[in-house]
Amino acid sequence: MKARDVFSYSFSAIRLRKLRAGLTTLGVVIGIAAIVALLSITQGLQNTITRQLQTGFATNTLIVSTERGFGGGFGPGAQGGAAAAGSGFKLLVSDAQAINGTLSPEIEMSMAIIQRAGYVKSGETVRTTTIVGVDFTKYANIYTSTFAAESGSIPLSPAADMVVVGKRVSDPWKNGTLLFNVNDPVEIIWTNATTLPPENETYSGHVTAVLREIGGFGLGGPSDSNIYIPISQVQSFFGTDEVNTIVVKLKNDDKATIDSVSKTITDYFSNQVSVTSATAVLNTLSSVFSIIQLFLAGIAAISLLVAGIGIMNIMIVSLMERTREIGILKALGMKSRTVLWVFLCESVIIGLIGAAIGIASGWGLANLVAIVFRGGGGTFIGNQAGTTGGITITPVLTPTVFLGALAFGVGVSVVFALYPAWRASKLKPVEALRYE
Amino acid sequence: MTTIVEAVNLKKTYMLGKVPVDALRGINLRVESGDFLAILGPSGSGKSTLLNLIGALDKPTEGNILIEDVDVSMLGDSQLADLRRRIGFVFQFFNLIPRFTARENVELSMSIAGMSRAERRKHAEDLLETVGLKERMNHKPSELSGGEQQRVAIARALANNPRFLLMDEPTGNIDSRTATEVIGLTKKLNEEKGATIIMVTHDQHLAAETKRTVQMFDGLIIKEIVN
Repeated sequence: MKARDVFSYSFSAIRLRKLRAGLTTLGVVIGIAAIVALLSITQGLQNTITRQLQTGFATNTLIVSTERGFGGGFGPGAQGGAAAAGSGFKLLVSDAQAINGTLSPEIEMSMAIIQRAGYVKSGETVRTTTIVGVDFTKYANIYTSTFAAESGSIPLSPAADMVVVGKRVSDPWKNGTLLFNVNDPVEIIWTNATTLPPENETYSGHVTAVLREIGGFGLGGPSDSNIYIPISQVQSFFGTDEVNTIVVKLKNDDKATIDSVSKTITDYFSNQVSVTSATAVLNTLSSVFSIIQLFLAGIAAISLLVAGIGIMNIMIVSLMERTREIGILKALGMKSRTVLWVFLCESVIIGLIGAAIGIASGWGLANLVAIVFRGGGGTFIGNQAGTTGGITITPVLTPTVFLGALAFGVGVSVVFALYPAWRASKLKPVEALRYE
Repeated sequence: MTTIVEAVNLKKTYMLGKVPVDALRGINLRVESGDFLAILGPSGSGKSTLLNLIGALDKPTEGNILIEDVDVSMLGDSQLADLRRRIGFVFQFFNLIPRFTARENVELSMSIAGMSRAERRKHAEDLLETVGLKERMNHKPSELSGGEQQRVAIARALANNPRFLLMDEPTGNIDSRTATEVIGLTKKLNEEKGATIIMVTHDQHLAAETKRTVQMFDGLIIKEIVN
């Protein structure tokens, strides 16, 4: 029997029981839709977060801190003054100068960052922020795209009172009502807890530049909700030389360089610092997402498994109903192999249709979820990032997910049809013909 | 004349639960090409079992059944299927596929044999014309009378130019007037086209229309009559 004839024979059998076939297909549709929706949302979320991280990242940088992991440098939410490690080891501004081309030829430059939680005040309005002391020139060199002014300009040799503010500090309500604009005076406050009782220390600066909106959150990089003042000013304002992090810019971002320089720096500080690479963080994040995806896909796969059992059940019922038909086919000279193909072909058709509809509806569902999130402000990651800016998820249907879902849908259908199909093919013609 | 079917000391034992039942107890039979043979006997005499063996639907317990000098017992599953394509079956209950039209039912056996779509369509129409059903070829079995259904079944049996036709009580489920039509058609096929026909029946009158009759009883051939 020709393949095309097997197909049309199978199709005619499916068409005969539309409702039953429809319900069986629905099982596959739901399973595949769940897989596609979950995977494309997670993929979209991963892309969004990675993209946001990358805006705040420079892949050719290393972050040196006294803390373990990347908590010290991760995000603007990091609290100032929390640098004290258990050993009492401190990184100083002078240490940043020691990390240079002499330590490793792969190092282009390094810079110290001192940051503390504080407030900015304009008239009666007070908002919390993170006060970050940096070398403007070096910082702009490392984070070219993010430490860039939207209005005003970033001074190369800044006066002590010059302040660069993030977009969310300037426009905290996201409605164009600016709290700070270029040339506005700004009162900068931090609470000095080293004295008793703690005292608020204050100085007045003026805004020289407002940063372009970054949207993401970075490792060591600029953030929308921070303010930036010259490193020398922050040293005298906080009365300390102790730095939170040192950002090291490398000449290139390949893994070998990152690893060797990381080791050189750790050795130089006798293992008392931790060195984090932006690239490594991205890699960790992407592997975490892979696990989440696998987990979610696994849950969705269970529903497909249920659909598979449904297919098997229906096929067995169908097999019993069609025993006589199989007897006729065999009496007319159909080979057992062909009977097997007829039944498998039915499941392939159900699987294909189910997977196709499932992919389409899963994709629709993913977009619906994305729209709902957008409408709801989508702040669940935003909060974590400490920014008021929401995130938007754009679901992504990769070719791998598309083809994988298709193959999985068809695969499950075929696997569960194997047993009924095999039983059908093994029927003895005499007995099948006698079956009532 | 060439021998189409030859049964030698054919025996078939069924297990009915745990009790063995001897359906055939040593049948010797020879069918030449162009023959029109009726196998006559009461129910339980083993005539359907014999028909199943001749039709390669089943294998004997003992003895040999040769179809065109090929021993059926020696054939595998796939070879048996190939052999069945060269045998035209006509069943008592028609055994048409209900969801297919008359033409599609006739086409089915050609489709199983791997004939191309255009070719089998033409051939099916010709066959339905032969059995006088060209006008009703797009009707489904449920829209056809018993006699018409049986004629579709005959057309289907003829589709792959079989070596012989096997008919199992072909008039068992149709009224006597339609039965006469079907028998007329069968006789015409035998006389005009030289088709070899083996027919199982318990109808004496029907058997009288054939060239030769064998009488079965209790798993044995007890009498042979040349009409």
